[in-house]
Amino acid sequence: MSAVKKIFVVEQLRRVQMSDLLARGTRLDGRGLSDFRELTITTNVIEKAEGSCRVKLGNTELIAGVKVNLGTPFPDTPDKGLLVVSAEVLPLASPYAEPGPPDENTIELARVADRGIRESGMIDVSKLVLVEGKHVYAVFVDVSILNVDGNLFDATSYAVVSSLMTAKIPKYVLDDKGQPSKTDEMVSLPIQTIPVSVTQARIGDHLIVDPTSEEEALMESRITLVSDDKGNLCAGQKGMPGSLTTDQVLQAASTAKLKGEEIRSIIKKAVYNG
Amino acid sequence: MGKQGGDSSSLINEQGIRADGRRIDELRPIKIEVGILKNADGSAFIQFGKNKIMAAVYGPKEVHPKHSALPDRSVLRCRYHMSPFSTEERKNPAPSRREIEISKVTREALEPSLMLEDYPRTAIDVFVEVLQSDGGSRCAGISAASVALADAGINMRDLVSACAAGKVAGQVVLDVDDTEDKEGQADLPIAIMSTSNQVTLLQLDGQLNEEEFNKALSWALSGCKKVYELQREALIGRYFGKNEKVLEVEQ
Amino acid sequence: MPEVKRRYVIPGEVVARGNVRADLNVMRVNDTLVATRVGMAEIGHDVVRVVPLSGPYIPRIDDLVVGKVIDYSAFAWEADINSCFFGILPAASVFGRDYSPAKDSLTDKLKVGDMIASRVIAFDRTRDPLLSISGPGLGRIPRGQVVKISPAKVPRLIGKKGSMIKTIEVGTRSRMLIGQNGVVVIVGSPEDTLRAIRAVNLVDEEAHSADLTEKVQLMLGITPEPQQADAEQESDEFGSETQTENEQSAASSGESDVMSPENMQSGESSSEQISEGI
Repeated sequence: MSAVKKIFVVEQLRRVQMSDLLARGTRLDGRGLSDFRELTITTNVIEKAEGSCRVKLGNTELIAGVKVNLGTPFPDTPDKGLLVVSAEVLPLASPYAEPGPPDENTIELARVADRGIRESGMIDVSKLVLVEGKHVYAVFVDVSILNVDGNLFDATSYAVVSSLMTAKIPKYVLDDKGQPSKTDEMVSLPIQTIPVSVTQARIGDHLIVDPTSEEEALMESRITLVSDDKGNLCAGQKGMPGSLTTDQVLQAASTAKLKGEEIRSIIKKAVYNG
Repeated sequence: MGKQGGDSSSLINEQGIRADGRRIDELRPIKIEVGILKNADGSAFIQFGKNKIMAAVYGPKEVHPKHSALPDRSVLRCRYHMSPFSTEERKNPAPSRREIEISKVTREALEPSLMLEDYPRTAIDVFVEVLQSDGGSRCAGISAASVALADAGINMRDLVSACAAGKVAGQVVLDVDDTEDKEGQADLPIAIMSTSNQVTLLQLDGQLNEEEFNKALSWALSGCKKVYELQREALIGRYFGKNEKVLEVEQ
Repeated sequence: MPEVKRRYVIPGEVVARGNVRADLNVMRVNDTLVATRVGMAEIGHDVVRVVPLSGPYIPRIDDLVVGKVIDYSAFAWEADINSCFFGILPAASVFGRDYSPAKDSLTDKLKVGDMIASRVIAFDRTRDPLLSISGPGLGRIPRGQVVKISPAKVPRLIGKKGSMIKTIEVGTRSRMLIGQNGVVVIVGSPEDTLRAIRAVNLVDEEAHSADLTEKVQLMLGITPEPQQADAEQESDEFGSETQTENEQSAASSGESDVMSPENMQSGESSSEQISEGI
């Protein structure tokens, strides 16, 4: 008997319960199918980081921190700064998380969050260059996941976006010899838009927004779509072994834009008034 | 890296006040919260100066792989880990040698307090995650972990409380912070089982003569007692609300 | 009844001194009795114990537990009973003595994912607890919703002589089966079930409150009956239900008694069983 088996055994009763409720347009926790759980974003929780926030989405809880230093650009993009997003599901976050390097799920998670930020053009990376091909800002966003209760994709994305928006990074200038040196001046990152990720799970014929762990255990497929300020979709990822009909994909896209607006105003409020 | 004890005169001024405004026998502000992580069987969050540390307990639970189980007691496993954003320079998330050693001494500091014989063939996992580090993170982590173990309802002989003393600018001080740790002359982290006064962690990094050692040890122990009071308050507050005084019946 | 003093304690705290018997969650160190858990110490004339408010479920013989079938071999099912130990349900105890792995198939009776109401019939810590599903009120649970609470709070959810169960069942028109392992099954219409779950979660979160019954009634919109019920609530403070169970056997002295299958069906529609025989 392995612990792994424990994860996949969902009570027969639960399946029945959930499909009954979904047919009535409601869920185990009383939410409607397209309702998010309560989202709380607290900014600047880690003073040592250049930007940080703690995100709670229902019982899913995580902390993101931004660290910035100088680096060398990639040879194929000498005129762009570096942006690296990583995530770790800490072993304290769930009985099923194991200590060790990130597994494929966690790497997918970080890459999808990264894609939303990169493809929306949230950060103008061309402004993060001191000397083309030589010295650029390297922005690291690390996400530590503290408690897992579903929808890590959206929670991670909101944490990365909010911590980047709050970041104040040291300004570097070039000295007489053309070498970069740190100044005391702190500046914000060049933010151009606020990308918002909306993840939906398919259980039977129903698409539900912001699934909990329990709902994820029963979902057949998952779709994450990221939209920007203007309502353009800019990143996406279908996940899990199941499929979606084309109608479901279209429905997911329209929900993503609609819900994205709601979430964007929560993020703005937290960052600018927090 | 040994203590250089270089120019540390600026760390304590002529009035005996330290760089952060504390007296030499004063602790940094400490705050403990219990039961904050939903999934964990027990959890605690401690702020100790600038340290922000989360501790969580899972277990007792089945052991994997099975052959590492013991027939007559539970196996205690500890992991001390720092988040990449917890330090001045971004820290590589892979565990360093320092983190592995601290994991080990944390386990050995907590183990004497636990009645592991009550849970044969199982494992108890303790995870300490440093979200922001300052000096003394191992002590703060151990104190938080002990509270998390009590929160998990694991049978314990005693609570473990930890605090460091050290030597800075030629003087013995209580509770060494980050700057003092880097520029000071000695650091002596101590953990004790509070009611029985047994030492479960002792490390020494730097030089102390016998008199200084005795003084540092006694100050560290008094620091542990203060930490204990806060641990107790946090646990009682978590389970019985803040109105403890009203409901308490005389012994 | 002799005077009992109550006091909050944490592990390591001295609960009493001298020639007093150590009951649950108390250990003797020389002349003192020391708590080993966070909880309410009950210091009687000649015996002390600590009623804990957290902690894992450790099986005890005769406990009613709600389990989830997670695996099976040729001779037994394995059940997750919300403990660090897995429950073993031997095939022979379900099929009878003449069980033969060659002709009988375990999955005909119980499948992985099925919930069962079972009783612990043997457990001695050197091997996993042995379960049985034969007996009134035991068996497969065909419907209902599962909620988990802290096993240490089960006595509060049952309440004094089952008063809390009754309050929730009547207030939500649903029925509950409460395992000593903290797994609760609720049967009712979807709306009623949702309300019952909220009530159960409230008990889990507020187990230390002296006015827990009132809080539950308030949530369920019940006006408390003005008669004798009130007097009981006054004394319904933490741990009081264990007092009435003192005459129970030592095995269950730490908590209120296991719900007997008859009590379990004490709701309105008692003719309908939550579990079904196999």
